[in-house]
Amino acid sequence: MNKNAIVNSILRFIILITFLSLFPGCQGESPKRILVWSTLRPVEREFLAEKLAEFGKRYPDYEFKELYYQPEELRPNYMISALAGKGPAVIHMASDNIGPLAELEVIMPLEDHFEPAFLDSFLTEPFSANTRHNGHLYQLADRIGNHLALVYNKDYVTEAPETIDDLIALGNADWAQDNDGDGKADRYVVAWNFIEPFFVVPFLGLYDGWIMDEQNRPTLNTSAMSNACQLIYDLANKHRIIPRECDYETANAMFLDGKSAMIINGPWSWGTYIKRGMNIGLARIPRNAETGSWASPIVSPLGYMLNVNLEGEELAISKELVRFLTSPSVQLESSKRFNLIPSRTELFDHPDLSEDPLYQAAIDQMLVGRAMPVVTELRWIWDAMRPAYQGIFTGTYTAEDAAAEMQKLAEKLIRENRQ
Amino acid sequence: MASGSKFNSTTRLAYLFLLPAFLVMGLVVFYPFVYNVVVSFSNMNLTHFRDWEITGFGNYLQVFADNSFWYFFFKTVLWTVLNLVFHVGIGVFLALILNKNIKGKSIYRTLLILPWAVPQYITALTWRGMFNAEYGAVNLFLNDLFGIEIAWLSSEWGAFTACLITNIWLGFPFMMVIALGGLQSIPDSLYEAADIDGASPWQKFRQITLPMLKPVMVPAIVLGVIWTFNNFNVVWLVSNGGEPSETTHILVSWVYRAAFFYYRMGYAAAFSMIIFLILFIFSWRFILKTGATENVYG
Repeated sequence: MNKNAIVNSILRFIILITFLSLFPGCQGESPKRILVWSTLRPVEREFLAEKLAEFGKRYPDYEFKELYYQPEELRPNYMISALAGKGPAVIHMASDNIGPLAELEVIMPLEDHFEPAFLDSFLTEPFSANTRHNGHLYQLADRIGNHLALVYNKDYVTEAPETIDDLIALGNADWAQDNDGDGKADRYVVAWNFIEPFFVVPFLGLYDGWIMDEQNRPTLNTSAMSNACQLIYDLANKHRIIPRECDYETANAMFLDGKSAMIINGPWSWGTYIKRGMNIGLARIPRNAETGSWASPIVSPLGYMLNVNLEGEELAISKELVRFLTSPSVQLESSKRFNLIPSRTELFDHPDLSEDPLYQAAIDQMLVGRAMPVVTELRWIWDAMRPAYQGIFTGTYTAEDAAAEMQKLAEKLIRENRQ
Repeated sequence: MASGSKFNSTTRLAYLFLLPAFLVMGLVVFYPFVYNVVVSFSNMNLTHFRDWEITGFGNYLQVFADNSFWYFFFKTVLWTVLNLVFHVGIGVFLALILNKNIKGKSIYRTLLILPWAVPQYITALTWRGMFNAEYGAVNLFLNDLFGIEIAWLSSEWGAFTACLITNIWLGFPFMMVIALGGLQSIPDSLYEAADIDGASPWQKFRQITLPMLKPVMVPAIVLGVIWTFNNFNVVWLVSNGGEPSETTHILVSWVYRAAFFYYRMGYAAAFSMIIFLILFIFSWRFILKTGATENVYG
């Protein structure tokens, strides 16, 4: 063979290999896989993995896997992959993400895929379990609530404070003082992720405020907002009963290590505390002694959504999987193990659950909560609250100015996205 | 004439080997780049995600009219310059020490490369924990030694400094390794000749070490500028997404927020094109001006 012929042969070979590599079908049989993306904490992910393995026995040709993302990462990652025609078959997350996902048409309307009798078996009172948006059903819940509550360590606090004044008094108790002289309290009365807007909203309830009106317009520039922000600022800087810097991980670590006697946290965390053998109790976040109004955490279902790109056998199996994961037997098991409030009507008053004081307390807190609005505008309201609210703690804004700034930014973000 | 053609049998083989790389580059770099350019002239946002249309230069005008751009541009330049000064300064300093005949050199070398070997994610989150005002190791240390406590993560410049310290920790080993490689390639005979001429250590450093290091350090600095200018991970993770009050951003982290939190895709695409142009012009001018690609002996 002459040199040109060798070069031509190599050229053909490289072109062939390159093009073959572009077509996955030519690389041999890839395993069939049903992937579930979730925002669940480790103890619940173990449970989900167990249930996927159990369900997987029905379809031995398929591999069933779960993958964890932080809530703020799952949403954009899912959007990108689903818009590209890929992504997981099933996603499990809170209902406030439904607005943007439905507007992008990356999640599947479910009303035609499940029979009415099945859908009617989910709770509608005191809060609706399944979530609709613009007339379509997008999420089947495996729990309701997902609300913040006051978790207290009974080794330090025998009775949870009922009012904010009680909380402040408790924070000034001996055990919360600086007894070792290192310049900071030996133990804080309570810690929570107070820099995040989601954790601020319950305190609006103390002043009868809310984040949007019935036309989904932001209502952030209110006295309720400025009072709520001022209260949290004062707890940290005037009364000094909560840490000055506290994100979620810090608050959680402090509670686990006994550096704070109480924490404001949601049901996703309670299972971890119980697993660690902590002697915990649940109670309502304290009320305003003057107005009598309770703090009102946001209540939202958590559940499963289907990828809009699913079709054929994968769609059928994914639907069956969601039916299995929301079934009474699976929900009863998870509710007992993690103190969750199930989404199926027949389980709400189930004796195995209702006799548990933690379950009763979780429902008691939920009853003074407010349902999460399922509108896209909520996304921009969260983002608009963050900068100005955090600015109060850096000294950039007063509480009143921060409330006005939040409103301004929320209106701007909504306007820019609706242009 | 065959030998005069650009596609003769010898060069054809070279093009042949480059072909797969070109195809992959086309798919993962050129196509997304062109798509980004198109989107930057469009009204793509959450409301018009599927039915977007070309709207002209509006997004570019909005970027330049937005105070956030100029503010974060200033912060990005400051972030890049400070990082590079410390990366190169610490890197070259340590390389000079490691280039000497000192005991346990290999142990020091391994230890100093460790920050580079640990994944950025882990380093950033560990440093974030260490910067907590009340329980972080940094403040406990400062408090014990000097009786001071800094609000690292809850003040604008505290958070910026926290990100900066984390990235200096992550970045100096790269410059150290590059500088060490450059130092080891400098012939000893040059230093011997300088000794005979009676040159001081500083004169040897200025007249021999620095010029001989230049060809290896300049490309490393250009790379360092590009990586640092675009270092999303450290800024995002240490500041928890721009806290406090969305002030701890560099241009790329702000683009990420605009795109994936505010869903302003057209605006974010225009913003990212401007970042690209800034880096492109800088790299081009810097390489031309420093003559980084020229032979040191030439």
